[in-house]
Amino acid sequence: MRALLLILLLLAPGLAAAQPLVARLSTDRVDVTTAFVGESVLVFGSTEQPIGPGGDEVIVVARGPSTHFVVRRRVNVLGMWLNGPSAHFDEVPSFYAIAGTLPAWRLLPEEVRQARGLGLDALPLTPSSGARSPQFRAALLELKRNEGLWLEDVAPVDIAGNRLFQLRLPLPATVRPGVYEIAVHLVRSRQVVATERMGFVVARTGTAAEIERLARLQPAVYALICIILAALAGWLGSILFRRS
Amino acid sequence: MQIYLPIAEMSVDALLLVGIGFGVGWLSGLFGVGGGFLLTPLLMLIGIPSFVAVASGANQTLGASVSGLIAQARRGNVDWRMGGVLVAGGLLGSFAGVQLFAFLREKGQVDAAVALFYVVVLGIVGLLMVMESVRAIFRRVRARPQRLHQHSWAHGLPLKMRFRQSRLYISVLPPLAVGFAIGVLSAVMGVGGGFMLVPAMIYILGMPTSVVIGTSLFHVVCITASVTFFQAVQVGGVDIVLTMLLLAGGVAGAQFGASMGARLRGEETRALLGLLVLGVALMLMWNLVTPPERLFSVTRAP
Repeated sequence: MRALLLILLLLAPGLAAAQPLVARLSTDRVDVTTAFVGESVLVFGSTEQPIGPGGDEVIVVARGPSTHFVVRRRVNVLGMWLNGPSAHFDEVPSFYAIAGTLPAWRLLPEEVRQARGLGLDALPLTPSSGARSPQFRAALLELKRNEGLWLEDVAPVDIAGNRLFQLRLPLPATVRPGVYEIAVHLVRSRQVVATERMGFVVARTGTAAEIERLARLQPAVYALICIILAALAGWLGSILFRRS
Repeated sequence: MQIYLPIAEMSVDALLLVGIGFGVGWLSGLFGVGGGFLLTPLLMLIGIPSFVAVASGANQTLGASVSGLIAQARRGNVDWRMGGVLVAGGLLGSFAGVQLFAFLREKGQVDAAVALFYVVVLGIVGLLMVMESVRAIFRRVRARPQRLHQHSWAHGLPLKMRFRQSRLYISVLPPLAVGFAIGVLSAVMGVGGGFMLVPAMIYILGMPTSVVIGTSLFHVVCITASVTFFQAVQVGGVDIVLTMLLLAGGVAGAQFGASMGARLRGEETRALLGLLVLGVALMLMWNLVTPPERLFSVTRAP
């Protein structure tokens, strides 16, 4: 795969002559099998003009499928710590990563950055219902960051020879299956002049996928299979390991 | 070796799970219990979401109890009629328990509620076990008065039924109620409930000890199967990969534990089991009362 990448990277400048920005992904599919421990996807490409101070700059944004999150705060009730007030957040990306040759806030005017949702603070994170305290938003940001699901300028985009750029997107084992959208923005004199959009799919495959699908679509059948398998395993095991 | 659990949606060390299964199986073989009360809290401790830990714990207990039931049934130690009445109550109880569980989950209180159930139930049962066995160790010479509970309030109730194998002629209401209560606890705590059922059968129903173990195993197998079913259908927490890994270690461990348990005296075993039960209750109570590291938690809404 590395050889293929190299060829693509070498070809890229040729293509770039026609376009100000060319970008590709190392894969269009990430398989979640029972041996899945996370994976990383490479975003790479090239620009028409040299990258660097005074020239072109690149910002890469990745978004995973949106979900609905509930943030709860624990409160002390009669000496016990129970879940108390909660805030609901709708349509929140389950995965979000942003990185640039420089942080986005240094490359773009604030209103452009906010409008394009470039940066964790530019995500529209307002609770749809429940507690309104800004603490909940802050807690959501912190917890998602700790899980490695929301990444902001963890490492800058790598530049090679002023033309080629690449960024490794680390996907932890907890990524949600679904469509992941990647946008690469080319910034020239504090303006987005070109954008390249790509995507990849995270999909459960093999046994893990079949188990999850059966459990979701036919829970009664799945339940019966679980009961029979557990009973059989217990019975067989007791024969295998009998010590008498 | 990391393995991805499809329902828990996380990656865990498979050997750790087999190891936990073995340890819990060893202890349960030693003490002659299902071991669900140890397994479910341990799973939560290593980060398995509580709804998966409870449902898969029940599923694992089913597998761990099947061989014991077969062995007891061969020896004719199962009172099928009494078992049937208990299970009838237990099926209702497990259904009600899963409704309660689903309600608590919606309210975001599952973790605390499961912990609280453990603290209260295990605390009481553990304390009773330790007290009873300590008394028994000190007065080993004196035989237990046999007829003490033979004619309690339970015998004045209507709907009497004859249970030949237990040599009882009692109302079906007490066994139904006992079965129901154990069913609820089984569904919420992810246990088989044998350690609660056995004393209830002896002291509340007055069953002879010869059929208690076999009949309780029959109840445990039926109720964990029904908890597995309702949990899978309503909450969706049964992770078969998790269950099978735990069983792989569990069935091996149980055989080793059982051969060792045969060499221990009854009272000492019960005192140790009581201490173990109390220990789990105290550990969960500690988790419940100490200020959490993080005040906030995030869950994905179903």
